[in-house]
Amino acid sequence: MDATALALLLWGALLAEPVSRRLAVSVWPTRDPVGGLLLWQAIGLAGGLALLGSGVIYGLRPFGPTTPAAVPNALAAVAGGRWPEEMGLGHVLALVAALLFALRLIGVLVAVTVRTLRTRRRHRDLLDLLATPWPAVPGAHVLDHPVPVAYCLPGLRSRLVLSAGVLDALEPAAVAAVLAHERAHLRERHDLVVLPFVAWGATAPFVQGMVCAQLAVAALVEMRADDVATACTTRTQLTGALRSMGAAAPAAAVTSFSVALEHRLDRILAPPAPLPAVVRGCVRLGAAALVAVPVLAVLLG
Amino acid sequence: MEIVPRLGELERAVMETLWSTDAPVTARDVQEALAGRQLATTTVLTVLGRLERKGLVTRERSGRAHHYRSVASREDHVATLMRDALDAAPDRSAALARFLGSIPADERAALRDLLD
Repeated sequence: MDATALALLLWGALLAEPVSRRLAVSVWPTRDPVGGLLLWQAIGLAGGLALLGSGVIYGLRPFGPTTPAAVPNALAAVAGGRWPEEMGLGHVLALVAALLFALRLIGVLVAVTVRTLRTRRRHRDLLDLLATPWPAVPGAHVLDHPVPVAYCLPGLRSRLVLSAGVLDALEPAAVAAVLAHERAHLRERHDLVVLPFVAWGATAPFVQGMVCAQLAVAALVEMRADDVATACTTRTQLTGALRSMGAAAPAAAVTSFSVALEHRLDRILAPPAPLPAVVRGCVRLGAAALVAVPVLAVLLG
Repeated sequence: MEIVPRLGELERAVMETLWSTDAPVTARDVQEALAGRQLATTTVLTVLGRLERKGLVTRERSGRAHHYRSVASREDHVATLMRDALDAAPDRSAALARFLGSIPADERAALRDLLD
């Protein structure tokens, strides 16, 4: 079998499973959430491209020495109905597998996006009927319910929502910290950062690495929003808000939730030293290199 | 005045009218309940149509008039929003972003029980 195609296949499998698992339990991303998120995006993109590319490279081999040279020949062969003699069952299967893989990835991404947009629209319709705009903070809406909940509805017509329970439980300064956290989610479009991992987790829920990736990315997004929030309020205000809401929310009744909350509080109060600038640069270069490997392999191999 | 915010505000007013009564009401009843606004019948029908499309209002025909009623009480709708906001199912985590992160799958059911 073709060495480049085989190498890409292995590379894709490595990224999807052991590499993802390893990164999910790594500690350094807590010191550089943005770098961690970039690396996760790169792993997702590179993994998909590598698996796809290996099928395309192997399947198109009979048509030419390199993939760019093979594509016009393959198109001519399809148009003329004449296949090269070297074209075997393996090549056809590789192309079919690559096609099915691409359709599955894109299909799930579209399905998840449509479902997400529908959920948001339904939620926003109800919200606009039920929540009261809060005059103190432009863009924030208050929902009349005693359980403290703060969240944002991302999108082009985004909404910031606080329940009345939040306003009862928190001091104004703590409410400001909560809002700063939610605004960071909205401004940096964390929903779009998370979306592909939700989709790919749904594509292959049996691959443990994909599920780990989804949870790790969700946790990093929260860390990033905490970092932004602490920059515009104080650390004690943010942890105070988390403590009051965590204690009052029904979610506090569940233990592993409380454990996760403790980790988050620890990180805000005693922030780990940021990664040195050189290391941060290397993380970003590494992320770019990850994506470049399968792209170059397809173009040159 | 911009048309969209005005429609949104009218939708709230019409829903308040429907929520304030148990009986199904006609467009004319709504118009009379909101008499202070001096709405045209077509405007009321437009707003009711929008609410019906959003799945918030049902319409049934009795005799020559259409009767409208809300599909759920105000409290039920608020509970739906709260469930959305607290139900951090992984497949829905892209739809909303919560202040208190995600909740593990096996414990979401317990959380829902607490809410209901």
